[in-house]
Amino acid sequence: MNQMSMIAADTPIAIAGLSKIYPGQRGGTAVTALQHVDLTIRRGEFVSLLGPSGCGKSTLLSIVAGFQKASEGSVLQDGVPITGPGPSRTVVFQDYALFGWMTIQKNVEFGLKAKGMPARERAEIARALIAKVQLSGFEDKYPHEVSGGMKQRAAIARALAPDPEILLMDEPFGALDAQTRVLLQEEIARLSSDAGKTVIFVTHGIEEAVFLADRVVVMSPRPGRVREEVLVPLPRPRTAEMRADPWFVRTVKDLWDTLKPDWQKEQGQ
Amino acid sequence: MRTWRGLVGLTAFFAFWQGLTMVGIIDPFMMPSPISVIEALWEMALDGSLWINLGASLQRVLVGYAAACVVGVSLGLLCGWWRVVADFVRPVVDALRPIPPLAWIPITILWFGIGDMASYFLVFLGAVFPTFIATYTAVRGLDRNQMNAALCLGAGPRLLFADVLIPASLPIILPGLRIALGIGWACVVTAELIAAQSGLGYLIQQSRMLFQIQNVVAGMVAIGLVGLLMSLLLERLERRVNAWAPSERA
Repeated sequence: MNQMSMIAADTPIAIAGLSKIYPGQRGGTAVTALQHVDLTIRRGEFVSLLGPSGCGKSTLLSIVAGFQKASEGSVLQDGVPITGPGPSRTVVFQDYALFGWMTIQKNVEFGLKAKGMPARERAEIARALIAKVQLSGFEDKYPHEVSGGMKQRAAIARALAPDPEILLMDEPFGALDAQTRVLLQEEIARLSSDAGKTVIFVTHGIEEAVFLADRVVVMSPRPGRVREEVLVPLPRPRTAEMRADPWFVRTVKDLWDTLKPDWQKEQGQ
Repeated sequence: MRTWRGLVGLTAFFAFWQGLTMVGIIDPFMMPSPISVIEALWEMALDGSLWINLGASLQRVLVGYAAACVVGVSLGLLCGWWRVVADFVRPVVDALRPIPPLAWIPITILWFGIGDMASYFLVFLGAVFPTFIATYTAVRGLDRNQMNAALCLGAGPRLLFADVLIPASLPIILPGLRIALGIGWACVVTAELIAAQSGLGYLIQQSRMLFQIQNVVAGMVAIGLVGLLMSLLLERLERRVNAWAPSERA
């Protein structure tokens, strides 16, 4: 194995010189959503993309997912350019995006069905995943019959089902109440650590970003770019008591201090 | 409970009508009483003319409606999915849509003469636009995130179509199809008034010429009841298929 492919094997996602420009609509000015973003993500790493709205973090995730194309620069997965969405990079959406006409069981099975897996086998795998996200007993419920937190658990199980290399989470707890959010953060900490998945987690919650990640990539708006990176030395899996760790508390506060002007600016606009 | 209320509503309507004729507010020659209409229906049912004409109308509406569904849904899917196709097709549809089926009758007779084909065509014209609009609207309104979710989970075109696009669209498509059937049913009667030799519309027209007003109204009542039945059946189907959708849970 030569050196290049070894690097590729260690860095499932390599983003270099990435820009995204939306042309102006009907004579309006073009919007630079992302400018010269360089980011390398290691295998098994949990990376939080943190920033206020308008910093392009969701756009970046959507480009990595393959839903949008970059205007400039390259996005490689294992050394190969990403050209579209695929089951090696599954997404958990803020609004769950569950299929309302399918039971939770069928939702989780969807990615397995897409693979052409026989019905019995995929039912088994889906059931195990549903148990893992603690939704056993709700297999035959429809999404509208369960709470927001349960919907998001189901969506996480669905995203894990095709056994993706990378899990992309786009503000997954944004629509949940504060208590449910804390519980699900701990759940994600446990799941991601168990599954050893590479995770990109987009959020505007500083505490959540630090609590979950090995590395917090802080972004700033207009144009969206990487502002700084913070390595989180806390061991994994993360547990609730780490929220009281002095390093954790200080880092969250420091990040708030640096981000505050950006936030205020976005609020003012 | 709701069925019961519906029956009470219908009964009250007929009772009111009967009352008006009994106290003499309505001239029974201009508008026969419900009881004489039911008698007329019964007689037509016994001599078989009701069934023959009803059968002819149903057969016509089914053929025209089926064609409208196939064309309207396919075109709606195409236009909903590819904006370019919509850009070409929508102006044509929106220009044809305001022309009432009645205005098509002269040219329909010119093209197809008097017979089944003319009726099929008029039913088709009446039903195809609402079918198209419903399907187009449904596909346009699909949740982008759900599509993306399906794609990132590895869905190919067939799975995307059968398991996501279609079921996600049905809560809007099916009510459109139900409305289209109602319009198709009205169109078949219109067509038969002028361009057919059988059917409920033809029955009404013939009875009018023979001054059998109770048969005219009996034909109208039959049309109304059959339309009601169609609507109820489709609504029931909708409720089953779309049980998951917010619109069915209110």
